[in-house]
Amino acid sequence: MFLALKELKYSKLKFALIIVVIVLVSYLVYFLTSLAYGLASSYTNAIEKWGSDEIIMTIDANDSIMMSFMDQDDYDSVTTTGSKTKLGLFPAVINNPTADDILGSRIDVFFFGIDDDSFIKPNQSVTLTGNKVIADDSLQKEGYKVGDIFGISGSTQTYEIIGFSKKTTYQTAPVIYMSLESWQQYRYNTQTPPDLYSGIIVRGESTIDSSNKSLLIYKTDDYISTLPGYTAQVLTFTTMIVFLIIIVAFVLGIFIYVLTIQKTSMFGVMKAQGISNGYIGGSVVLQTFLLVLIGIILGGILTLLTGIFLGDVIPFAVNVLFYVVITAAFFLFAFLGALFSVSAVLKIDPLKAIGG
Amino acid sequence: MKPLIEMIGVTKDFLQGDNIIRALKETNFTAYEGELIAIIGPSGSGKSTFLTILGGLQKPTTGRVLLNGKPFSELDVKEKSKIRLDNIGFILQASNLIPFLTIKEQMVLYNKITKTKVNQSWMNELFLKLDVEKLKNKYPNSLSGGERQRAAIAKALYHQPSVIFADEPTASLDTKKAYEVVKLLAKETKEQKKATIMVTHDERMLEFCDRVYVITDGILTERPKV
Repeated sequence: MFLALKELKYSKLKFALIIVVIVLVSYLVYFLTSLAYGLASSYTNAIEKWGSDEIIMTIDANDSIMMSFMDQDDYDSVTTTGSKTKLGLFPAVINNPTADDILGSRIDVFFFGIDDDSFIKPNQSVTLTGNKVIADDSLQKEGYKVGDIFGISGSTQTYEIIGFSKKTTYQTAPVIYMSLESWQQYRYNTQTPPDLYSGIIVRGESTIDSSNKSLLIYKTDDYISTLPGYTAQVLTFTTMIVFLIIIVAFVLGIFIYVLTIQKTSMFGVMKAQGISNGYIGGSVVLQTFLLVLIGIILGGILTLLTGIFLGDVIPFAVNVLFYVVITAAFFLFAFLGALFSVSAVLKIDPLKAIGG
Repeated sequence: MKPLIEMIGVTKDFLQGDNIIRALKETNFTAYEGELIAIIGPSGSGKSTFLTILGGLQKPTTGRVLLNGKPFSELDVKEKSKIRLDNIGFILQASNLIPFLTIKEQMVLYNKITKTKVNQSWMNELFLKLDVEKLKNKYPNSLSGGERQRAAIAKALYHQPSVIFADEPTASLDTKKAYEVVKLLAKETKEQKKATIMVTHDERMLEFCDRVYVITDGILTERPKV
């Protein structure tokens, strides 16, 4: 402790430069993590909100819920240990008919058609009837209020917002909840649509009657990974983050190693005097630990500041668990880097300290 | 007089290619308390072999080293290291000071490593004796060569070892400073009943030594004082 701290104090500039590198890299890693998590969340927020265990679609849909068509017989053929509910899901483009620039007011959204008593209804205080809908609160940022009307592209139909829901985005687009009947009218563009929907959301475990061979059960997580681009995006971010952590471990390991090699003769003298490998090695490890600690605290503060100032512009979300794992990884890899130097300390021969 | 460090029938062989080279012929040597002993000899004569075996940094091929009457050379590396920390003080040519510690912190380091209390009064006494009181908050590289060696002596004496090894302690000093340093070393050796073994090239320093040994080709012989 003593040696490690005194050296940090003595060689301030040298260590400050190393800390700057750690700050920058840890900032990048934390920031990317928040961004990756934020993006991934905006893909799946609406699904997470269901609190579901399973999703059932048709086999023919080939993982794409928008291409899944199910009827009442399909619904009845599913038995669950918990509860089940129908979901109609289709993208839509909405606009504000009262805006000066109607084209400029277009927003890509997803229409979710649900029964009014469905457990996936996000706002229980309102009733979904006719063309009354619950909209994701990101529409509030676009200026919509309760009671506002919006239209849709390709139809003269309008809808009235009767409530807002929090954190309900699907594939980064806001979700609009409506009654299953309204959804069917939109989906099939007729006032007398067929009674079809897209999938069944299940809490608990479900079994399908053996006579129905057209359905497939997805675990919710498996379903999420089939969302277009989701897996590729998560994988890309994860790879970047893992590589950054490994790179910082190498950079730090090399820095510490070079510093250790510079001190070879001093460590030789110390060993000749009877100072143990344990004390010298411990001091190298502790120094590394302190550098990483200071670096990632500053990097973390920068990340949070960025989140505060840019949180509305970018999909920035904090996940404490991810931060903990990444921080632990930083320490682990930095420690491995330091061990490299410790092994160099062990090899220093105190004989060299005494010339003759 | 009490013998502090003894070498009994020690030899040291090195393997060079296929040949065994005897770097140190059978050697018997005893340093008593209060003695400043000089070891001289050309480089490659076996001086450093002698000193490193005495200090427990390498094992003798035959024979043994006793420190304070107890077996030393037979111990394992870790135990020897521990004993060196408490019982041996080093003053080295390039100085044994750590560049990023102030002179005072150099002393405190020993207490930190051994988890003991700082002996403030003894430290102050040493600083006064060695005239480094004013330098105690300075770093080694801001001191002159003479100041650095005086501080090194303070460090070697601080933990009250029984034996002090000084390896060319005057190498980088001019004659006046070198005299000062060796005189101080001789004085402290006497006062504190240490045995100090000093390897030197510098014939001028021998007048302060109690005994002078010469090593040539691995043979240690005492040179009668003139």
